[in-house]
Amino acid sequence: MNPDHHSSLNPSSSLKSRFTKTFLRSLIKINKQRPFPYCPREIFQRCHRVKTAADKSLARAAGSRRVWSRAMLCKIRNRSLRRGCQQRPSVRRIIIGYQTTKKGYCLQKKMSDDQEVGTDQASKLRKLVPGGEAMDLCSLLDEAAHYIKCLNTQVQVMRRIADIHSS
Amino acid sequence: MEMGDKDKFELEKRSDNHINYHSPDSMPSDWRYSSANVANSSLGLVSTDNQMPVCRGDLVGVSSCSSASMVDSFSPGQWDHPTNSQYLGFCDISVQNNASTSNPMGIRKGGPASLRTGLDKTLDIGWNPPSSMLKGGIFLPTAPGVLPQSLSQFPEDSAFIERAASGLKSLSVVQGQKNVMNMGDSSRDTSLSVEHVAIEGSPLKNEKKSGSLVRSHDEAKQGVGGSGNESEEAEFSGGGRQDKPSKLEGNGGEQSAKSPASKKRKRNGQDADLDQAKGTQQSVEAAKDNPEVQQKGDENPTSTPIKATGKQCKLGSQASDPPKEEYIHVRARRGQATNSHSLAERVRREKISERMKFLQDLVPGCSKVTGKAVMLDEIINYVQSLQRQVEFLSMKLATVNPRLDFNTEGLLAKDILHSRAVSSSTLAFSAEVPMVYPPFNASQPGFIQASFPGMESHSDMLRRAINSQLTPMTGGFKETTQLPNAWDDELHNVVQMGYVTCAPQDSQDINGSLPPGHMKAEL
Repeated sequence: MNPDHHSSLNPSSSLKSRFTKTFLRSLIKINKQRPFPYCPREIFQRCHRVKTAADKSLARAAGSRRVWSRAMLCKIRNRSLRRGCQQRPSVRRIIIGYQTTKKGYCLQKKMSDDQEVGTDQASKLRKLVPGGEAMDLCSLLDEAAHYIKCLNTQVQVMRRIADIHSS
Repeated sequence: MEMGDKDKFELEKRSDNHINYHSPDSMPSDWRYSSANVANSSLGLVSTDNQMPVCRGDLVGVSSCSSASMVDSFSPGQWDHPTNSQYLGFCDISVQNNASTSNPMGIRKGGPASLRTGLDKTLDIGWNPPSSMLKGGIFLPTAPGVLPQSLSQFPEDSAFIERAASGLKSLSVVQGQKNVMNMGDSSRDTSLSVEHVAIEGSPLKNEKKSGSLVRSHDEAKQGVGGSGNESEEAEFSGGGRQDKPSKLEGNGGEQSAKSPASKKRKRNGQDADLDQAKGTQQSVEAAKDNPEVQQKGDENPTSTPIKATGKQCKLGSQASDPPKEEYIHVRARRGQATNSHSLAERVRREKISERMKFLQDLVPGCSKVTGKAVMLDEIINYVQSLQRQVEFLSMKLATVNPRLDFNTEGLLAKDILHSRAVSSSTLAFSAEVPMVYPPFNASQPGFIQASFPGMESHSDMLRRAINSQLTPMTGGFKETTQLPNAWDDELHNVVQMGYVTCAPQDSQDINGSLPPGHMKAEL
């Protein structure tokens, strides 16, 4: 569904194609960097790396115009900063601080909007959609729709890759 | 304001006809009549110069003059018809419209026993709507008290009302919120006193209430109604005081926030209403130019005014049903509150429902779901399942023996992009998934077992998610498989995800763990 829609607009740069290319490249990189994992721990690490790569490539393919893609990239960056290097705490704090303040302010402002549809569900959705904490219900639904679309593409491509590898 | 002009003409005619002020007892009929007139006029304003809601003859004359001037103050540029009746009719109509447009939320709830007369009832009914109208930015200046009597007397102010409505259309600011509440209280007062207070208060309070009005309102109102108000005040005060000096004074005291609570509320409400009515009218023009407080309301006004005026024209036949009429503030759709808050909320609700519909198309199996709560649940479940699928697939890819290299990357990419194989035999999954779950924990491949601890929680959640999803989706599966819809893949993926999650556990080799049948189904 996505490919068809996107291909009608621009076959060479559909979401699916962008994601596929980016993800395959990162997969190859991951496979090259580490030997094939045989112990569970390595598998788990690898799995995490693959997942991160998938999310990152999806966010990049989705573009930075979307709140969720930006939030996802920020999260990944923060994670890598937190995990990888402690040498840039200032950057990390700035990013985290910005996100928290934005989230807090927007949450306060938008709490009243949740009552209309159900606070629990809205808050659940906020947690699911990256960057959904700092959004009103309207844009949250918007972002959720786009996020679902991209997730579908991601799952589709990943499954295809897995099938190809397994078969 | 073409309609306004036309209405003005009608108003003039009507005012001539309804010169006689009817006694309060006959007010209901008059009010209804006026409401009928109002209905006829898009604005619903019945300008009855003669039918000033004056219980006393003095007031009639005064009110007529004041209304005329007040009308001027409302929209000097728009209404050349300053007649008390017009103004009163305006209030009346607005009340009527409010009654019709606003939800019966307060329409009879707060109606005090005193307002059980025909007048009172109309006032009540009309009053509550005004509150809602005010919210929409159409604050009807008429104090509740004024309206009951004036209402009956302003059947002919339709033109005025139309003009006012058209003027108010652009007004999206909610000023009536506060005033509405006041108005509601004031409506409880007797009509007579209210009337006088309203008439008197409006000019007096124009300046006072201007602050409460939208900033644009204030500018417009003060600029325009300043002169008019002063003149009106003099007239009103003179007229009002004559008849009920005590009340008026009390009202006056209210203005200064000294009178008893009831009177004060009444007066505040009246004044606020009057002020807002004037201010809104005046500020309508200003509002159009100035950025509205509620931008959404701005959008509505531009679109709804035309709609509203059209609808107003049809209101004539419904004279006997005041609650159905629209108020001058055309921005609100027919039968809807015109408060700017409610307008903005309505816009927001529409946006949300529009997005929910779009999401409904995205999430498979939700075409039959109605209601935001259930829909949101489905969406949440679907997003969770998709995320778990990604997790599982990444785990799978992590364990896949990488046969990729740069050479095959391009080929793989093409293969992936162009592969559109979709099997239609996925229905079997739904039955098999539950059976797969039990063996999930039982048989775990040795080398994968270690990694499962991290995934067990995922698997449990995934299982639950998939189970929860399967139920609503099984129906959808059947439908989708029959129709190769775009999201057919997703459905299959979802089902297969749960199935695949469990299936690999049975086999030792996760790479080839998926049964060929399932693989085919996936593809």
